[in-house]
Amino acid sequence: MKQDVRHNPEQAVTSSARILESLQHPVLVLDAAGELIYANATAAGSFGGWIVGLSLTDIFPDYLRSPAAGDHPTSLRLTTQKGEAFEALLSPLGEGETCVSLWPAAAVLDERTPERADDLTGLALRNPFMAALDHALAGADNRAGSLAVLCLDLDRFKVINDTLGHGIGDQLLKKVADRLRTACRREDLIARFGGDEFVILQRGITGVADAERLAARLVDLIGRTYVLNGHTVNVGVSVGVALRDAGLQSRDLLRNADLALYEAKRAGRGRYRFFEQGMDLQLHERRELEIDLRRALALKQFELAYQPFLDLSTDAVIGFEALLRWNHPVRGKVPPLSFISVAEENGLIVKIGEWVLMTACMAAASWPGDLIVAVNVSPLQFKADTLLTTVSTALERSGLAPERLELEITEGALLADTDNVLATLHSLRALGVKISMDDFGTGYSSLSYLQKFPFNKIKIDRSFVSGGGADSEAILRAVSGLGSNLGMAITAEGVETAEQLGRIREQSCTHVQGYLTGRPMAPDQVELFLQEQPIAQVTN
Amino acid sequence: MSASIYRLVYYSRNHVALDEVAFAAEVDDILAKSRANNVRDGITGALMFNAGCFAQVLEGPLDVVEAAFERIQQDERHGEVSLLTLEPIERRSFPNWAMGFVGMSDETASRFAGVAAASGFDPAHFDGNDLHTILRNLALEEERQAA
Repeated sequence: MKQDVRHNPEQAVTSSARILESLQHPVLVLDAAGELIYANATAAGSFGGWIVGLSLTDIFPDYLRSPAAGDHPTSLRLTTQKGEAFEALLSPLGEGETCVSLWPAAAVLDERTPERADDLTGLALRNPFMAALDHALAGADNRAGSLAVLCLDLDRFKVINDTLGHGIGDQLLKKVADRLRTACRREDLIARFGGDEFVILQRGITGVADAERLAARLVDLIGRTYVLNGHTVNVGVSVGVALRDAGLQSRDLLRNADLALYEAKRAGRGRYRFFEQGMDLQLHERRELEIDLRRALALKQFELAYQPFLDLSTDAVIGFEALLRWNHPVRGKVPPLSFISVAEENGLIVKIGEWVLMTACMAAASWPGDLIVAVNVSPLQFKADTLLTTVSTALERSGLAPERLELEITEGALLADTDNVLATLHSLRALGVKISMDDFGTGYSSLSYLQKFPFNKIKIDRSFVSGGGADSEAILRAVSGLGSNLGMAITAEGVETAEQLGRIREQSCTHVQGYLTGRPMAPDQVELFLQEQPIAQVTN
Repeated sequence: MSASIYRLVYYSRNHVALDEVAFAAEVDDILAKSRANNVRDGITGALMFNAGCFAQVLEGPLDVVEAAFERIQQDERHGEVSLLTLEPIERRSFPNWAMGFVGMSDETASRFAGVAAASGFDPAHFDGNDLHTILRNLALEEERQAA
């Protein structure tokens, strides 16, 4: 696509404009009256957006127009209203116009010399950044909170790289760098530590408010839509902020900002978080838990407990829900609420889920009659794309009839990538497996999900059973009515008293599960429990 | 092959809460600077505004439209920018730079009438174009909420 510019003056104009735009230092052009008629992108970014039309004095109050502008270049030092110093070179362009090239004054320039900058973005590299941070911490200004370190991570950057290619990814990083320059002041130092990791040293601040203002501005500015080669690209940014504190070394400050960044991501990304005491301890505890969790499968610390559910038309046990239990030699019994989220974060849930499916199917195969086993499936297992294989393998190896397996999914599984999830659900259904919607009423409770897939069963969350108020009762009645009209069974969870059971019957729920009708029990207790119960003759 | 012309349309919320005089000055300023930038870049288009929002159409070669949009994105005077379209077009809908005020209050409309007239804004350019209707409705809705 290289063209000979000599034969195409229009192309030449575009090219030089492009070159000017791509320069990392500000370039301005003044007309004979001293008004700005051109500003390249860096100038616009450095001096506040729309500056064409202003005079040079508006930007640099200390600029005094020399009455007899010579016809040879002059160099001088100019200072902005904010006090940022620049070295300026003024060269006449003819017809009274002047080109002004600007470079940040020496002290700042030091950290930005080309051999120490990132090739792609022109930002500082890690080593000069750390040196500058050391220098700032050792400096005269020792007040706590007088400087801040902000760690930034782009959200969804990998997806953009993977779908639009590295070329677009690189262009995005350049524009992000531009926007960072726009948001920061000259005395701040911006670095790229690699990939989509950026770090900012905010110097000379007066307190938390200054750092908070910058963090909020970054989340807004970086999160605005980008247009790259005709593609509309949206990314977000998560920001972790740490302020100078007595006795903190560069490494500690950076680590604190990084911990805060981790919290910002955990809280849902696209936001900022300040470092707080205790964040390191929390992270340490989560890491320990994760290490233990990785070993738990191999060390056979997981067990399944089985809680019976009843068909209300016969009052007979028709199946059991498999519930995951973790018995740790030191931690004791770890409740699922405190480890499932960690397992989902690091993807261990997929392996654990496989074990649960296999173990539950094996157990159910040994139960008498047509008793059903219900197994919870995490949204992450749908993402892993191996769920169908896992289920068929478990059925094959255990010899369990597919209609005796019931998979319980939550709305969360349907939130993202709905089409793929629905395709997987239909394939599972084709195997003969039953699918139920778990915890209905706690999340979005979107009726459209009920329309998108013909669930065998809806499980109403326990909170509507224990609530007991008129509202809970109305909701119970509405959902069970909805279910029976859609041809779906309704299980009421968490039934603990005879009074609650009575109400459930009135609300035309079809199934019930709770402490009243049976607590979760160890696998070897199932047989004894069943001997004391009439087993329903499940005919379908 | 001549370079394709693209059209970009965005809509954003005004972050400058100013009294009317200051707001008029701000709008004058925005118009003057975008005119100068756009003449330089070969961009034409239209800017509509009222107390609540800006809606802008930019037409020109892709690279300069992208650069202009990036400058606009970095401006703190507005936010919550929704990019409505970015597409190649056969010909420019606004061969000249134009600007118009879209508001409900007659008083404000007359205040900005001068600015709008001077810019050569002609609502007829929009006629028959869904974009106009959409932008206009968005703008009016925004003003209603800001009131």
